[in-house]
Amino acid sequence: MNNNVIVIGGGPCGLEASAQLHKMGYNVILIEKDDHLGGHLAKWDRLFPEGIPAKELLDQLTGNINGVKYFLKTEVKSINLLDKEYNVILSNGITILAQAVLMASGFDLFPAQKKEEYGYGIYDHVITNADLENYFKTGKDCRIKQNPQRIGFVHCVGSRDEKAGNRYCSKVCCATAVKQACEVKEAFPDAQVYCFYMDLRMFGRGYEDLYLKAQRDCGVRFIRGRVSEVAEDLNKQLVVKAEDTLSGKPIKVTLDLLVLMSGMTNCSAGTRIAEMLSLKRDEDGFFTCKDTIFSLQESDKSGVFYAGACTGPKTLPDTLHEARAAALAINNYIKNKE
Amino acid sequence: MRERIAGGYDPFVLPFVIGMIFIFIYLFIALIRVFRAMPGSDRKKFFLSLLNPTIMYKNIRDVICDCLLHIKIFKRNALLGYMHASIAFGWFMLIVLGHIEVMLFVPQRNGTLHYPIFYRYFVAEQNATLKGAVFFFLMDFFLLVVLSGIGLAMYKRIRSTALGMRRTTKPCFADRVALWCLWSIFPLRLLAEGFTAGISGGSFLTKPVNMLFANFLGNDMNVLPTWWAYSTALGLFFLALPFSRYMHIPTEVLYIFLRNAGLKIHHPRKGLAEAEIYSCSSCGLCIDACPMNMQKKNLKYSSVYFVRFQRRNNKKKINEIAEKCLMCGKCVALCPVGVDSCGLKQAQRATVTDKLPYNYSFLASAHHQGGGPSMPLAPVSGSATGNEVTANAAAHGAGNATGNAAQSAVGKDKVLYFAGCMTHLTPAIIKSMTTIFDAAKEDYVFADKDGGVCCGRPLMLTGKVTAAKEVIERNREMIQDSGCKTVVLSCPICLKVLKEEYNLKGITLLHHTQYINQLIDQKRIRLNHSEESFVYHDPCELGRGCNIYQEPRNVLSAIGELKKANKEKKESICCGGSLGSLTLNYHDRVKITQESLKALTFDNPDKVITACPLCLKTFSDQSTTPVADIAQAVAGNLK
Repeated sequence: MNNNVIVIGGGPCGLEASAQLHKMGYNVILIEKDDHLGGHLAKWDRLFPEGIPAKELLDQLTGNINGVKYFLKTEVKSINLLDKEYNVILSNGITILAQAVLMASGFDLFPAQKKEEYGYGIYDHVITNADLENYFKTGKDCRIKQNPQRIGFVHCVGSRDEKAGNRYCSKVCCATAVKQACEVKEAFPDAQVYCFYMDLRMFGRGYEDLYLKAQRDCGVRFIRGRVSEVAEDLNKQLVVKAEDTLSGKPIKVTLDLLVLMSGMTNCSAGTRIAEMLSLKRDEDGFFTCKDTIFSLQESDKSGVFYAGACTGPKTLPDTLHEARAAALAINNYIKNKE
Repeated sequence: MRERIAGGYDPFVLPFVIGMIFIFIYLFIALIRVFRAMPGSDRKKFFLSLLNPTIMYKNIRDVICDCLLHIKIFKRNALLGYMHASIAFGWFMLIVLGHIEVMLFVPQRNGTLHYPIFYRYFVAEQNATLKGAVFFFLMDFFLLVVLSGIGLAMYKRIRSTALGMRRTTKPCFADRVALWCLWSIFPLRLLAEGFTAGISGGSFLTKPVNMLFANFLGNDMNVLPTWWAYSTALGLFFLALPFSRYMHIPTEVLYIFLRNAGLKIHHPRKGLAEAEIYSCSSCGLCIDACPMNMQKKNLKYSSVYFVRFQRRNNKKKINEIAEKCLMCGKCVALCPVGVDSCGLKQAQRATVTDKLPYNYSFLASAHHQGGGPSMPLAPVSGSATGNEVTANAAAHGAGNATGNAAQSAVGKDKVLYFAGCMTHLTPAIIKSMTTIFDAAKEDYVFADKDGGVCCGRPLMLTGKVTAAKEVIERNREMIQDSGCKTVVLSCPICLKVLKEEYNLKGITLLHHTQYINQLIDQKRIRLNHSEESFVYHDPCELGRGCNIYQEPRNVLSAIGELKKANKEKKESICCGGSLGSLTLNYHDRVKITQESLKALTFDNPDKVITACPLCLKTFSDQSTTPVADIAQAVAGNLK
């Protein structure tokens, strides 16, 4: 019997799980559809709560996978169960027989243009959280003016929004928004920053301090209420209408830049593979775990495992925990099989 | 022609006569009830309409086309139309011919209830004589027509799809009784007349029956029992009629008269509404029409059941259905009787919602400030002068008056553009419209650039009529004060209420599809004819609501290839995003959206084009084919 394990997705989750499985002595094959490893992490600049550079973490993760075979720009063409082993055919023509498959396919960002009322793709100065990270990383984005005076953040874009089809909370956007609000204030010290939120879910260790810092040190104004619509005036400035639910009054703010905190949805490339295996998905589109407390890493098909954001929005530490837990679960499964 | 039975009477006619007297009394009382429940002005309007020759002509035409020939059903499905028409028209002709026979040949029996119906029992004639041959042939012919209809009706119970209906109504108890009576009336008539044909004469249908049965049944002893059975079936049918769906037969005539008189619904169950709900024939065409019925669990919300519960005054069920309805109007458009179930539901909602408190006092201050509409509170400007966030005292954002419209009330050649709040949520439409205005060098005023007051249609749909009137009045003043003679709207929801409730005399209201079509006709904009193919979705409020079907199709044909949808125009399926429903959940809506998209994309168009911001938003979330508003498509193809 071979000891092949296939890991689908080369983001932080896939990298960590591969490294752990490799250490356990398995022959790990990592498949990534993009031309680089790291997934969303590779596009991010700094991480909450302390603002550690994303690159540091990425380097650490990629440094640990020495000896793991990985294929870039490769997708799964077909996958099926052949007598307790999974037969996987890749788009580069390679066929692999594997003992177990780990879905570490992660998430897609909610396409912000779907919330057309916020004007992403229509107005000149509307960007997403990912665009802003890219700006911090590269210093380039033609949508961000020389010296913006007023900057707004819209929380929960495509999250907790039944009309957008996503009823769930994306978990990381609150902390990301507060982190980015502070960073943007550091980048443009003259700017006034607003955050339009429904609830602030600063649940993690150090997150609350970040929130206090944003208010105390950066003077970020937190406005509790949803943005109803955004318009553009003749000067290409954005007129944002919202409701301040704490004072019970509708408000109107003119801004130079609006940042939409796009939430998470299940990765479309991952769901395509899941369909070949007829894996169960919940109403929210994420994969269904075997149970919701005890066996988070197991799927409804034996030999297929989950880790990371493919089973719901997760923070990076959560994802890395799950990657290690999945490695352990796979180890137990293969040992039992033998 | 001679009378066979002296005195022209036999006890077997009694069940029929009793039933007939009962139904006459019942109808008379019902008629008085309907008129008593009407407001005086409506009564006056109705009686005046009877003197108006145009309306009378329309009445007669509608009665013949709708009640007898069922032209509307014919247009939908020929076989189904034939089924309804054969029973209605055939039966009508049997009654009329019976009366003509009595008038011509036994005038001394004129005025008796039973004689024309049981004519063949009471008289004897040979089919060799001319009057015997002609009338006996006609009577047999129409009996055959009715019997063929009944045959189809029975077949429909087993296989409704053969008659173009996927689903049919579940009959209630009284319906079943009346149905069985109706089905047995005509075969019994055939038997009765067949057994009598040897004595009284018959034609091509009754004679062979007579001869066939003579061989093994012996005709004479069966004559009376079958006539008794025939009369009893008739009598029972009349007794069951008021409690069954067949009440539509007499009521529909009244409803046509009331409808053509131009009366409107005031109360969900009284007056006109009562005539309307009893006109429903429970044919069930609305079941297949309803977009919610993609899912079997929603069948119970069909208009036919709403009307049934209205009759029974089952408040809980009535409210449940009234609140669930999408108000897309498809069932109204396809109803062969023209029952305005959406109007009834709206009136029903009003009984619940109209009393709810609301406060639009800010509307007054929004208007009377500095001699014209102006901002109740200044919008925040881009200048960094400190006071960044301005609270607006107006409730739900409606108070930002439409100032710039009136201030520039100079030229009446100007066009007033009213985007509507829904269009403000789809800024791509606004952007495209401004591009088109500029390309056409139109001198226009953007009425609600900085936000406007709601048009009132969403309030009307929920039944909050009094509240709606307030915002309508406010907008009406704004439009009239602007001095513009043409209003262009991007939202069909606004257009419908502006047309119906605003009473804007001398002002042309155009949806942007109509406006763009005009621009093309007048050669004010020039367009590229692209290789792209489009399918057009008829938004409920624009198509069925405002009867605008052709203009958008003309526009799309000018910029590319127009493909057909599986269901279009009157039959178009709601996008699922309708404001109409108060309780339909997201998942059911998604199912409707997907069904609608399936019907739209069956010919694989490159793009789905709609003309309503709400449809655009709803489709964009679900569609794999790109979706755009017609204004976007046009703006993208400007030369």
